[in-house]
Amino acid sequence: MSPITSSPSVTLDRRQFIKVSAIAGGGLLVGTYLGFGATEASAQAATPETTSFAPNAFIRIFPNGAVSLIAPNSEMGQGAKTALPLIIAEELDVAWASVTVTQGDLNPAYGRQFAVGSQSTVANFTPLRQAGATARALLVEAAAQTWGVPAGELTTANSEVIHAASNRRLGYGALTTKAATLPAPANVTLKDPKDFKLVGTRVPGVDAAKIATGQPLFGIDQQLPGMVYAAYVKCRTFGGKPVSANLDEVRKLPGVRDAFILDGLTGLTPGVAIVAGSTWQAFQAAGQLKVQWDLGPGVNQNSAAMAKEAEAFAQAASAVALPAGGKTVAAAYHYPFLTHATLEPQNCTAVFRKGVMELWCPTQIPGTAQGAVTQGLGIAARDIIVHVPRLGGGFGRRSVNEFALEVAAIAKRLEGTPVKLTWMREHDFAQDQYRSNGWHFFQAGVDAAGKVVDLQDAFVKMLGGPGDMNAGGFPFTAIPGSRVQSSKLNGTIPTGYWRAPGDNGNTWATQSFVDELAHATGKDPLAFTLDLLAAVPAGGGGRGGGFVPSKMVAVLKLATEKAGWGRKLPRGQGLGLALTHTNNAHVAIVAEVTVSPSGVLRINKLTAAVDAGIIVNLSSAEGQVQGAMLDGISAAWYQKITIEQGAAAQTNFAEYPQLRMVGAPPDVAVHFIKSNAAPTGLGEPGLPAAAPAVCNAIYAAMGKRIRTLPIVDTDLKWV
Amino acid sequence: MSSFNLTVNGATEAVDAADDTPLLWVLRDTLALVGTKYGCGIGSCGACTVLVNGIAVKSCSLPLKNVGSAKITTIEGLARDGKLTALQQAWVDLDVAQCGYCQSGQIMCATALLASKSKPTDDDIDGAMSGNFCRCATYTRIRQAIHAAAGSS
Repeated sequence: MSPITSSPSVTLDRRQFIKVSAIAGGGLLVGTYLGFGATEASAQAATPETTSFAPNAFIRIFPNGAVSLIAPNSEMGQGAKTALPLIIAEELDVAWASVTVTQGDLNPAYGRQFAVGSQSTVANFTPLRQAGATARALLVEAAAQTWGVPAGELTTANSEVIHAASNRRLGYGALTTKAATLPAPANVTLKDPKDFKLVGTRVPGVDAAKIATGQPLFGIDQQLPGMVYAAYVKCRTFGGKPVSANLDEVRKLPGVRDAFILDGLTGLTPGVAIVAGSTWQAFQAAGQLKVQWDLGPGVNQNSAAMAKEAEAFAQAASAVALPAGGKTVAAAYHYPFLTHATLEPQNCTAVFRKGVMELWCPTQIPGTAQGAVTQGLGIAARDIIVHVPRLGGGFGRRSVNEFALEVAAIAKRLEGTPVKLTWMREHDFAQDQYRSNGWHFFQAGVDAAGKVVDLQDAFVKMLGGPGDMNAGGFPFTAIPGSRVQSSKLNGTIPTGYWRAPGDNGNTWATQSFVDELAHATGKDPLAFTLDLLAAVPAGGGGRGGGFVPSKMVAVLKLATEKAGWGRKLPRGQGLGLALTHTNNAHVAIVAEVTVSPSGVLRINKLTAAVDAGIIVNLSSAEGQVQGAMLDGISAAWYQKITIEQGAAAQTNFAEYPQLRMVGAPPDVAVHFIKSNAAPTGLGEPGLPAAAPAVCNAIYAAMGKRIRTLPIVDTDLKWV
Repeated sequence: MSSFNLTVNGATEAVDAADDTPLLWVLRDTLALVGTKYGCGIGSCGACTVLVNGIAVKSCSLPLKNVGSAKITTIEGLARDGKLTALQQAWVDLDVAQCGYCQSGQIMCATALLASKSKPTDDDIDGAMSGNFCRCATYTRIRQAIHAAAGSS
């Protein structure tokens, strides 16, 4: 396997970029994008739909050659709005510059509209290739009939059918009328990946220019004539509800149109709704609200008590049998609750007219927004329209859509008036499905020869939440007889999917402990990990399947080679490595850090090697891995949600810092293994191994082992 | 309720609003300039950054009564006749944005930086840009785009 390198440390100069784009058929992308909206509107206005060619729900080609493609899955930064149409365009052999992309509304014709679990590309890759190839075959057949030549003599490129023998060409636009009359072929041949022209190149996001010029794109940007603005205030403790409130006073506040308690709807968290003439007036009124709350049963929960409960579980777990002549290595790891903190706060816009609820819902799963409104308000699914604006971050937060029912309940009451609900940032912190806290109590038996012969993990997390957060997988699969005993804390803190669920905390713990074992046995962490990988049974061993030891060895060797593993570094500098198998991608990361004698941590460089199968859009793929690594590091370095008296103690970013430019490593290199295998997910796999790589590098630099997150809670002073 | 005449992107805008209304909400809800974003409301995230007389300011924390006759520039006011600034063009060319929500604030902040220092060093970028954060952590490309724009000007 030969690596293709996309190291961003090599500055991409503009000439290079234009050359790459030109090869991809998109050298003039930027100028074209600015006119996209207008192009689509004028094309649709000038040509009745009957004269355009729409062989399936995703593709429409107009007589003037304009091509409109649907992006079926939500865009939250992971690049699906560009990558999915790009897959269609590849098989369709269409000029990318002539393509307009429209975000699909919720529509059964668009298949699986889930943007979770890094599944958008995985689920759509083959269906969208088939959609594009089918349309292409029809256009080819239309040209064959027009010219009276066998279809087998025709080729396609850049939105044209070509008959090389007679040097004739016809643009797709000229073929739409005839193509629209032809029956779809039963089978189509997909391209050999080696013939891809668009897939695998760098293509800027289809909204890049709109973002750079501040055009309305996001859920929170929705504006409708006569729209009013809402806030919705819920109890800070989970399971709590309002009993009464100073509604008459609040209704008299500037701009306030109405204030009322919402309760008793299936699936709705009860709260106080305030409707006003502007977002600010609604927020100001929310600040004046005096509510008598029924705090519910969870008011006495707190993080400190949870830690004690977790330790009790661990003590009940059986101890590793001491190997003869050997030793036991034991360590306890803990990670805290996290909030998603999408930078766009939760919001949703709705209007209820003539029995139809129309929603503009920034959601990762539009079908569940519709389902929640049906369940809560009794409106039939056919009477609920869900538009999906761009999401200002997802990270799993918008896989749950409580804001859809909240705004729909308000809009139903204000029938005929559009309502935009925006959560205050403080409400967004207080009302989340948090990344669960977790504890790992590891014990390993090491024999006299320094071989790990037993491994046990007592794992504890909050009750509820996603079922896939059990620990396990590598390295347990490398050690026969090893075991994980999982326990759940008895509590009511809501937990949910946070980017790379399960792995985002468990990989940090397991990969840190692997590094501890390497040092405890006197081995280099790379050699030690390679030995462990050699012991994983062939054809399996990963949690959820799909773990291929040879692929993991390849990424590990590539990352360590590119990072200069094994270099002698002065005290205070160190290299650390970690790996993960997440969403079927194989990822190895090496971090290089400096810890000053006074304990200031700097991350100098991150090097990732990734096997994610076929890379659809190299630009977005590289960006996802870069961003996911830094996201994982941001959380591990700084962040924790502490539960005090049943509620999140942190209320805004002042108490919940984010990585900023000054803390971001200057060099973040991503290397992809060249592969013709089907694409894996890529929105999440870059995240889990980054934090343990950094923590292992800190240990290498100055000998302090980080066993509790966030890192800022450990004093790193070493002189 | 008071009346204000704001100068936004070169135009005079008459606005009636309470004195303490943050400029952010007047831009978004009254003037329909929604490129300026709400992220935290406490001046921490930088998504609401605009230029006030050329200086990068967090509009969520700037009450209307303190704006006076200052010239406000928002993300919508950077491009002229559809032509992007070098910085905006670099943002597009290098495909900086992921979710994109913070990027108008980042671009406004970087615009102020380049106006004061045409060839910023990495340290200059760290200093000028660290009042904003990007939840998708696109820092690698933000830095590249600022250098690219500085190199092309």
